[in-house]
Amino acid sequence: MSHEKLTLEEREALRQQTLVKHYTANILTHWFNVAMWLFLLPTGLGILLGKIYPFVPEAWNNLMNQIFGGLAPLIHWHSIFGQVWFFVLIFNVLFGFRKYFIPFAAQRMFMDRDDWKWLMIRPFQMFGFKKNQELPPQDAYNGGQKLYSYLVVVGTVGIGVTGLILTYSEAIPTSLQWIIQWAMPLHFLAVGTTFAGVIIHVYMGAIMPEERQAFFSMFTGKVNGLYAYLHHRKWYERKMAEKAAWEDFYNRQLEAVGVETPAEGGLEAPPAPEPAGGD
Amino acid sequence: MAEKKRYAFVIDPARCIDCRACLVACRAEWNTPAGQTRIWVHSDGPQGVFPNLSQTFIPAQCHHCEDPWCVDACPTGATFKREDGLVLIDEEACIGCGLCVNACPYQARFRNTVTGKADKCSACFHRVEAGEMPACVATCIGGARLFGDLNDPESTVSRAIAGRAVYRPITNEVNTQPMTLYLSSPAAAAVQVSPQPREPVPAETFWHTVALPVVKAAVALAFGGQALAFIFQLFKGENEYEEA
Repeated sequence: MSHEKLTLEEREALRQQTLVKHYTANILTHWFNVAMWLFLLPTGLGILLGKIYPFVPEAWNNLMNQIFGGLAPLIHWHSIFGQVWFFVLIFNVLFGFRKYFIPFAAQRMFMDRDDWKWLMIRPFQMFGFKKNQELPPQDAYNGGQKLYSYLVVVGTVGIGVTGLILTYSEAIPTSLQWIIQWAMPLHFLAVGTTFAGVIIHVYMGAIMPEERQAFFSMFTGKVNGLYAYLHHRKWYERKMAEKAAWEDFYNRQLEAVGVETPAEGGLEAPPAPEPAGGD
Repeated sequence: MAEKKRYAFVIDPARCIDCRACLVACRAEWNTPAGQTRIWVHSDGPQGVFPNLSQTFIPAQCHHCEDPWCVDACPTGATFKREDGLVLIDEEACIGCGLCVNACPYQARFRNTVTGKADKCSACFHRVEAGEMPACVATCIGGARLFGDLNDPESTVSRAIAGRAVYRPITNEVNTQPMTLYLSSPAAAAVQVSPQPREPVPAETFWHTVALPVVKAAVALAFGGQALAFIFQLFKGENEYEEA
């Protein structure tokens, strides 16, 4: 959080502002992802068995087998839900490519110097160190969120591709069965490392009091101006500039049809900024 | 209460004439794809000098080991050992990765070219459960292949081995406690049915040396770090006026 000093009036004024952080499509995709993980992770762990692959207690395998009525139905439903998960995500990316994915990748994933500086300070502050160090201003996503987004993208592609290989393994000829053999540890590795990121994501997004606004924004899509100003200054300032430009353009349009407005200027105003993916 | 069954094959190579009726019966029973078979008749080739020649034929199949390495190697649990001793494959749960094929020191498994699943001798469990013998045993005219419950002293196999020296195809390096007992000199049988030590495939090595340690470390670090941060947060407390 920024150490910028704000007067009480400024804080209150910022609190009254509302900024759209996530579009409905982003929110639905996020919670769809959550629901699928809640199903796929426990069932996936229930499949993983054998003395050579010790990761969960055998009791977990037995529990999952009992719930699903055996190992084969457990694998079947894990595969079905896994495919639904992956294809819905692919569908969302393909059909929301121009509107959501490109702006998301362009504006929320690229790491800049401030993001790296943030990463050098913020994790320490969570444990009481570097308390007096100023955090550099952050964009819509901070350095940690950007890193996590890479993990999620790479992990999701890894999980999906290896999962499809395992689902349709019988179609792979024996001469290429090494592909199936490699798909298993890679599937596990992709799930495990992404899940490690999810642990941090859930804590920082849902449990940390300072990020409460971010948590509720995943339901409402909105954050207040004070949160945006303190946590995501670059994004806040860009949004304010976009808003001012749009208001200016709108007023010019009104003037063009003879409506009196407080704004000044001619008809050749710039077009309204294209709304970007949740930005 | 009846004692638990302990199924085993008893093979008498001296009675095998290599007619291969057992292979035909097995294929007819299981519709095994051409070029693949669940059972074999090995041979050590002609021995001796003409005209004093001999040849031994050694029937073999999955030994339904008491310590089956294939079960340990199966990542999904599709390969399992039943209480009666039979090692079976749940085809619907098998993903055809072939790790069990690689793990079996007897090369008794293969990946079925039609189903894409692991395949092997199942001791015709459906026949056994119906009180019949496995197809290969039922069709063996020489009585070289026998099957039954070792815990039943009146079973065919118990009577066959009574008072006889039996040989299990094991070595100092490999002892999976196979449940096939050979009525033969160890030397003759060892030529063809001696097990080979298991070499893990690269993906298994990757699992043990990279995937498992990395995931364990990543999850432990993430969880531990967040737990510490949470404890720190509890000590620090919340300021209701400072929230954004």
